Amino acid sequence: MADAYVVEPDVGFINEIKGLGGGDLKKCFQCATCSVACPIAPDNKPFPRKEMIAASWGLKDKLVGNGDIWLCHNCGDCSTLCPRGAKPGDVLSAIRAYAVIEYGPVKAIGKLINNPKMLPVVLGIPAVLFIVIGLITGLLDFTPEGDKIAHGHFFSTWLVDIMMIPAAIWTVANFAIGIKRFLGDMHRNALQDGKTDIQKIDPKGFIMGLVRVILPILKHDKFNECSENKDRATAHMMVLFGFIGLFIVTNIFFVALYGLQLHGPYSQLNPVKWLGNVAGISLIIGSLLMIKNRLAKKEDQVSSYKDWWLIIWALSLGVTGLLAEMTRLAGVAGLSYFIYFVHLMFVWSLFFFIAYSKLAHLVYRTMALGYNEYIGRQ
Amino acid sequence: MDKKCGVYICEGCGIGDAIDIKDLCAVPEEEGLPVKTHPFLCGKDGLKLIQKDIADGTNTLVIGACSRRVNYDVFKFDGCIVDRVNLREQVVWSHPRSEFPALTEEQKDDDEHFDKLLMLAEDYLKMGMAKVEKIDLPEPHVVDSLSKKILIIGGGVTGMSAALDAAKTGYEVTIIEKEATLGGHAAHWRKQLPPQPPYEELVSPMADSLIRDVEAEDNITVRTETVVARIAGEPGEFVVTLKKPGEKIEFDVPFPLPDEMKVDADGKDLDVDKQHEAYLKFNKGKNDILTIDPDGEMFGAVVLAAGWRPYEPEEGEFAHLGLGELPDVVTNTQFEAIAKKGKITRPSDGREAQSVVFIQSPGNGSDNDFDYAGSVTSMVALKQATYVREDYDEGKAYVFYQHMRTPGLHENFYKSIQQDPGIFLTKGEVVSVSKNGKGLVIEADNTLLGDKIKVKADMVVLGTGMIPATKDDPIINLAYRQGPGFRDNALFNDYADSNFICFPYETQRTGIYAAGGIRRALTVEESMEDASGAALKAIQCIESTNRGVSVHPRSGDMTFPDFFFQRCTQCKRCTEECPFGALDDDEKGTPKPNPTRCRRCGTCMGACPERIIGFADYNIDSIGSMVKSIGVPSEDDYDEPPMRILGLICENDAYPALDIAGLNRLSYSADVRFIPVRCLGSVNVIWIKDALSQGMDGVFLMGCKHGDDYQCHFVKGSELAEIRMKKIGDALQSLALENERVTQFEVSIDEYDKIPQLVNEFVEMVEDIGPNPFKGF
Repeated sequence: MADAYVVEPDVGFINEIKGLGGGDLKKCFQCATCSVACPIAPDNKPFPRKEMIAASWGLKDKLVGNGDIWLCHNCGDCSTLCPRGAKPGDVLSAIRAYAVIEYGPVKAIGKLINNPKMLPVVLGIPAVLFIVIGLITGLLDFTPEGDKIAHGHFFSTWLVDIMMIPAAIWTVANFAIGIKRFLGDMHRNALQDGKTDIQKIDPKGFIMGLVRVILPILKHDKFNECSENKDRATAHMMVLFGFIGLFIVTNIFFVALYGLQLHGPYSQLNPVKWLGNVAGISLIIGSLLMIKNRLAKKEDQVSSYKDWWLIIWALSLGVTGLLAEMTRLAGVAGLSYFIYFVHLMFVWSLFFFIAYSKLAHLVYRTMALGYNEYIGRQ
Repeated sequence: MDKKCGVYICEGCGIGDAIDIKDLCAVPEEEGLPVKTHPFLCGKDGLKLIQKDIADGTNTLVIGACSRRVNYDVFKFDGCIVDRVNLREQVVWSHPRSEFPALTEEQKDDDEHFDKLLMLAEDYLKMGMAKVEKIDLPEPHVVDSLSKKILIIGGGVTGMSAALDAAKTGYEVTIIEKEATLGGHAAHWRKQLPPQPPYEELVSPMADSLIRDVEAEDNITVRTETVVARIAGEPGEFVVTLKKPGEKIEFDVPFPLPDEMKVDADGKDLDVDKQHEAYLKFNKGKNDILTIDPDGEMFGAVVLAAGWRPYEPEEGEFAHLGLGELPDVVTNTQFEAIAKKGKITRPSDGREAQSVVFIQSPGNGSDNDFDYAGSVTSMVALKQATYVREDYDEGKAYVFYQHMRTPGLHENFYKSIQQDPGIFLTKGEVVSVSKNGKGLVIEADNTLLGDKIKVKADMVVLGTGMIPATKDDPIINLAYRQGPGFRDNALFNDYADSNFICFPYETQRTGIYAAGGIRRALTVEESMEDASGAALKAIQCIESTNRGVSVHPRSGDMTFPDFFFQRCTQCKRCTEECPFGALDDDEKGTPKPNPTRCRRCGTCMGACPERIIGFADYNIDSIGSMVKSIGVPSEDDYDEPPMRILGLICENDAYPALDIAGLNRLSYSADVRFIPVRCLGSVNVIWIKDALSQGMDGVFLMGCKHGDDYQCHFVKGSELAEIRMKKIGDALQSLALENERVTQFEVSIDEYDKIPQLVNEFVEMVEDIGPNPFKGF
């Protein structure tokens, strides 16, 4: 038998979880309806009952490194059936937001983007960076010439990449650090709570686990097990595939630009362009659907700042991207350049803040699902 | 009164369809009694028919219609003796023609066939006719000098609330309080649990405002530093002697001889005279219970609100929780006192207690809460947890419970406490409390957080219970032959109660109504509700006594037991068996009835071997005559005569259950004849002997459950009946009859669906034994 666990409640943690969208967590009276209702909780040590008591006791150490909070897809079955209105789904979501901040190496950034009052700063950072660096390097041309409108004339692709590549590297580095700590914690927690007998993670096995979960993730298998908010799977799928499509397009054009020295804008007949347009539209429709779903579910589901932040960002990204393209084709130069500028701001901040925003679930949930697959927890 | 009898038979509700009413009318006609039928007797025309006869002088009515439990107000005729013959629920509804067919013309006169249903209806009609012949209209018992004053014992929240409620309705009230001031425990708390909706916030203790209200009320007299020396007499005219606490006076009530003094030096039982001698010696200087204090104060009824005292753990009782060894482990009462003084500090070193653990169950392998605890102790833990949070911003309060009981809307209180981020609740068994540096460490198993956890704390509070004052002191000091206190309190964990659900406030002593902490571990709000209930009961008692009727549960019953003393053998059975101590006896052992203490159950009538006790409308003869009027067919009548079985049915739960069975058209044997009895305790063995000696094949009693969770409306009735039925075996053997022919069933009111099976199985069993050899003699 393991030694007795010394309970040391952290009231500050409880208050932070409340602020991150888990405001009803103290209403839980431990009936475990949630764990029974959850279609995706494993049979051995199911969630979210145990997470709910840990949260109301402020046991940060039992939650932040707990892989189970990531197995949850916040489908809302538990929240709908909860007899006390404790909204376990939203509490787990808030704990995830806290965990993301916790695993980001620079906590101040996490706090920054989760604070609605700091929104002007979050928006201002890329704008100021772009303008300052653009002016210093001279890569920002406020009087672009040429008959054809090309965004590159106004906003040099060099400048874009000077900004974007470090942001990408930054994010990868952040995630690398975060994942390393997260995996360690998750494994320790699994051992402590008796979720697994495997003492040490075998990297090969773990990676195999990761590979096995990729297809189910893309197919949204877990999402589809939910009954309460099944329609959310469609919206999420559209947004996810929109991002994937845009990621592919960006990479192809990156190669085209630097490898093949082909400068944009590219022809509308180019199939890559088709993919980009379709992905952009998918992103917009997907995020609009998400907004619609959230507004329709005001009673059952908490929509906190962190949730709106990500959806609005995704929507803005798609809208500004498509508008920039459309105004360019329509020949409205000034407006097109301005929208392009806004678009780049959104792209950069999404890039830069991924590891601290709700979008980080892309990485942490994948890791948790992979780990879960690896330890064979059903 | 000169009886002029009339029989009325209703043909409605299927009675006329199943039975040929002409055949039935032949029964009274044979006796020369006028009989009238009507298709709808409870309707306007039907009633007119009866009323016309009453106007013409009929004063004794046998009404063959529905159960007496329905339409009782319709078939109520002042100044008339009425018996309701249950032709509907217990004849036609429970014996469908499909199962009990009518005879064809050819079958009618052979010796082979008989109409069981008609026989059943005929017998019931005969029984009704026999009964009305033997009963009289009751006359009320009037007390000599009725007092309408109410005595309230205990000046805490409960006593004061009861006093205010009773005083506001115009009754004079005297509160006696043994302490020097009113207020009780509630005056010494920091805060009180929420007394009203929405039940979310704690309030300031209400004791002070109650004291002000009591002082302002003209109808209330307060006597502090006063206790009861004895309460003599009976409801309506209790004679109460009061005294200062600790005083010894001649009107202190004599106590029964303790068991250890009933034996001699060798441990052998002393004989009756020696015991009496020892009793007199033991109670030297005290007047006998029958000596009335000439200076005693008269009261009509008593509310017992003597309350509770905090549980005092024995040395080492909760050693595993550190109580007694670690100064910072205290009980909830001690914690309240600390909280009342100011900020919560540790008893050991006076340092701030910022983190406090509340333990609700002593553990040790059991999941019981502390003794004498209840929902109130759960809620007190929640209340005291908020003190920690009030006093310290960083305060933390942990509650370990096995049961978190917040009944009714107090769930709102639980919910509001739960919201505090610094209050932590979990089910779990606390295994140990031990020292950890300057603080304490609490170890718990099986919690909601996991198998084994530890919590560090500055203080530990045990949710110990509330001991009722009646646990070891009679308090009421009744000058009753059965003793000064309540009997059977052990059945109710020492609380002064008589039955948990059905009869709150009523104790086993009529006219004494318990309320508040003496009755159960209660909150202030619950105690105040109790107080209102007990005050109303006391008023009901006084007014019922004033009208000469029974208080409860036979509310309004005007009859009372009548003793034919010339034949009394002073056996004292009635005095001893009366569940309510209604009978005192004098030196010779002759019972002295106290009619207003009586609840009219008839247990004395069932107990009396000389059969000298009876009621105007319910006596040995009336039931005996009913038994004798049952037709017992023998082989002279039919080739294979049907069995005849007598069922004596408790009218409180079993009789309604039978009616419900009929209402649900559940059918059962038509060979059984039911007679309702007030309580199985009133069943006199002679009725059973009568039944068997006239050839009936079996007898069963059907009544309430007894034992720890008894449902008997008269506490002891069904239990006493069972004892008497066991003793009847010898008598049966002397008649060469099998013991199995007499039995007792326990049913509750909702077990109507089981009754047909019980009845049928008994009939089959008797059929297997064979007919009673006394048949036909």
